[in-house]
Amino acid sequence: MRFFIRDDAAAASAHVANYMVDRINHFAPTPAHPFVLGLPTGSTPLGVYKALVERYKAGEVSFENVVTFNMDEYIGIPRDHPESYHSFMWKHFFSHVNIHPSNVHILDGNAPNLEAECVQYEAKIQAAGGIDLFLAGMGEDGHIAFNEPGSSLASRTRVKTLAYGTILANSRFFNDDLDKVPKMALTVGVQTVLEAREVVVVALGARKALALQRCVEQGVNHMWTLSALHLHPHSMIVCDEDATLELQVKTVKYFKDIEQVARAQGFEQILPSKFPIRPATLPTTIVTDEFPAPTIHSPQPTTSRLLRATPATEYPLRSRSPSPDLIPRHLRVTPDTEYTQDTEYSVISRSPTPDFMPDRMASRIGEPGLLRRSTPNPAQGLQQHQRSRSPLQNLTPRTNIMT
Amino acid sequence: MPSAIRSASPRQNGITKLTNCRLVRGDALVWDDVWVSSATGKIIRSQSAFYDELTMPDEVINLGGRIVSPGFIECQLNGAYGFNFSTATDDMAQYGKQLRDLNKQLARTGVTSYIPTVTSQTSDLYKKVLPYLGPSGSSRRAHDGAESLGAHVEGPFLNPTKNGVHNASILRVASSFSDLEEMYGAANITPFPGTQPPGSPIDSPSSSSSSSSHSTPSSPMSNNNLNGIPIKMITAAPELGAMTSLIPSLTARGIIVSIGHSEATYEQASTAVAAGATMITHLFNAMRPLHHRNPGIFGVLGVAETTQQQPQSQSQSQSQKKSQQPIEGREEEEEEGAKKQKKRPYFGLIADGIHLHPATIKIAWHAHPAGLVLVTDAMHMVGLPDGRYAWTNGEGEHFIVKRGSVLELEGTGAIAGSSITLIECVNNFLNWSGASIPQALKAVTATPAAMLGVEGVKGGLDAGADADLVILSEEVGEEGRTELVVDEVWKFGVRTFERGSSVVV
Repeated sequence: MRFFIRDDAAAASAHVANYMVDRINHFAPTPAHPFVLGLPTGSTPLGVYKALVERYKAGEVSFENVVTFNMDEYIGIPRDHPESYHSFMWKHFFSHVNIHPSNVHILDGNAPNLEAECVQYEAKIQAAGGIDLFLAGMGEDGHIAFNEPGSSLASRTRVKTLAYGTILANSRFFNDDLDKVPKMALTVGVQTVLEAREVVVVALGARKALALQRCVEQGVNHMWTLSALHLHPHSMIVCDEDATLELQVKTVKYFKDIEQVARAQGFEQILPSKFPIRPATLPTTIVTDEFPAPTIHSPQPTTSRLLRATPATEYPLRSRSPSPDLIPRHLRVTPDTEYTQDTEYSVISRSPTPDFMPDRMASRIGEPGLLRRSTPNPAQGLQQHQRSRSPLQNLTPRTNIMT
Repeated sequence: MPSAIRSASPRQNGITKLTNCRLVRGDALVWDDVWVSSATGKIIRSQSAFYDELTMPDEVINLGGRIVSPGFIECQLNGAYGFNFSTATDDMAQYGKQLRDLNKQLARTGVTSYIPTVTSQTSDLYKKVLPYLGPSGSSRRAHDGAESLGAHVEGPFLNPTKNGVHNASILRVASSFSDLEEMYGAANITPFPGTQPPGSPIDSPSSSSSSSSHSTPSSPMSNNNLNGIPIKMITAAPELGAMTSLIPSLTARGIIVSIGHSEATYEQASTAVAAGATMITHLFNAMRPLHHRNPGIFGVLGVAETTQQQPQSQSQSQSQKKSQQPIEGREEEEEEGAKKQKKRPYFGLIADGIHLHPATIKIAWHAHPAGLVLVTDAMHMVGLPDGRYAWTNGEGEHFIVKRGSVLELEGTGAIAGSSITLIECVNNFLNWSGASIPQALKAVTATPAAMLGVEGVKGGLDAGADADLVILSEEVGEEGRTELVVDEVWKFGVRTFERGSSVVV
């Protein structure tokens, strides 16, 4: 999980908006291959939408080939009710950008068959090729979308009864009249969010501090549904200083430090993919129980292995996870770079974390005879030893995968 | 295969989105977009269009922060560009042609709808011209220009002592409704004679515009819709004859009764208002001045009635005027006792700097802000050079002398209307009164629309209203005067005028 702390809400929102704009632009969406965006509502993402609209008006991003899926919608209030999420999205985002209405998907809270609506929604997400980036906010109780505490972490799009606290909190938008507040909603599930290729969460203000602490410092917990994000290979949380109130100083410092170090290394984790990811050229996703080699090639989408109920890879992934982005540029192997022995800088074909290197006491003695004698398969042992020492030999097959 | 739908939709839906602009909404300027459709001629509910019809605007126009106002509504216009509504031509086809020319030119000043005013004339003339002046109704052609909402007959049931420039010899007193029918022609004042049930809902051009018209386009009545009658407003002196008792018969026909050219006392004016008069024609002009022992017609703008508690009545009449969230229980209780004073009439003011002193205008506005309707009372000399112009005034030859913006009836020195445009009135009012821009624009949009009973159709920018728009820019003129300048005029969702552009409708 990547975790960014910004000084205030505006800076945090701007960070997220920049990230999204970079993502969309480097994806270079086309009508045949649109960028699929998951979108939230509520007060938290307002700043992000505002920043996105500004970027659009400045001509820095186009939503022409962007497909959107919204997280949730109330049941039983008219679609054009000022508090409906249709109205919210129209007012704060859709009316200001060039997104085409046919590319906009919001759950219909007035559908005759709500269950069918949910099933269709999941089908639509799959038909669109899955969500490339899911933007999310976080509830005070750590909920993501309307997945209130106690929701299954394997949940999918469904009808959800709202918690009393949420109804109470929402009543401020309905003249403080509890009777007018919708009691039910349609929402995507935790699993639906986790299946996105990337999840970006915004948490702003002191009111979110406790939930943020639970979700960042503690483990996966169904009572703080956003904590399921730990199971996602490529998630990101952006918050302001106020939201860090409950975090340990150590945690805050840790994340600030690695951001600083990463930046110093030219590795800001906003490295956009150089290659537009296209379905045709994609290799099949590798999901096996055994890791192929002691060297970790790149992070693989293994989310579903921890949530067996519904594998994350039900639909074909178009990307082998966002791996190209995670490797610093100067460490990345690109097809247009020919590495020879003359290459000045050292090329490391593995992730920055140290490799597992098989080590035996016998190898330290410096007596080859001893090593050979006590090793069941001395040839293999030596070969392995060599391979980990000379990474260049491994370059060729990996380069092929990347192209 | 996932695919995004291209926004460049091949089919044209005629929808234009105006963005980066300030909309006149109530007493505020609101940053918002407005979507207009040239297909329906209306302002559309953008959110529904997006989600239901999956439509995107054909064109997005960035207005660069300019002001979007509803089209202006003029309630007192005698003629313009050399054409006088009160002058019949021998060949009435020529009258129709001149009227159409005037409509096109008038729209360029920002006036998108108006009620053409006919001064005190003989019965023959009324019968001749009124069929041409009725509401345009269902003919919704953008390039026809300004649209008539019905005619305003200013006379001849006026007080001869307050005749202004009207010919006192042709003024009449009405003793029964048949006198009115006789004067104006029954067809011009009573829809389907004999079938109109008394007290039936007011048929405004708006409500009937949806009904189909079966008349042929060539007849003078072609512009009138099924239930529309040419007359929309009558100015009369309520103290004369049986006029006060005739008011309910007029209002039942959807005709606005306006008090004007009158010697009415405060009591007489109050009675007329209670009977259904809802307007005062050019307040202060051609009526008794305010006297401290009897405030006269101006007095009905006040709210004092001894039986009422002052603060309550104030808020009551305010909410009544705006017809917003009336406190129903209390309203009913007080209904009987307060009926007289609860209804404060709208009032027209000529803000040309000649008819009224700026301070007078300010006082009237403060007395009843929600009732102010700015009018020009412009004559056909508007837009013409200085000189001596013939004028039909009942019988005989009369001339009006135009010197600058001052019009005088030759030989009398009486002010004979104005030669000012409505936007100039707005600018005068804006600078004299300290009103905000939306407040000033309201006096030529929402307030006259409410007075004429066409709110929701004209004078507003809410979805469903006719897409008659004026786009204004603010300029600081001499001595720091704020001047609103008409940059563009839109009629029924189509841009028909653009300042500096050679394109004429």
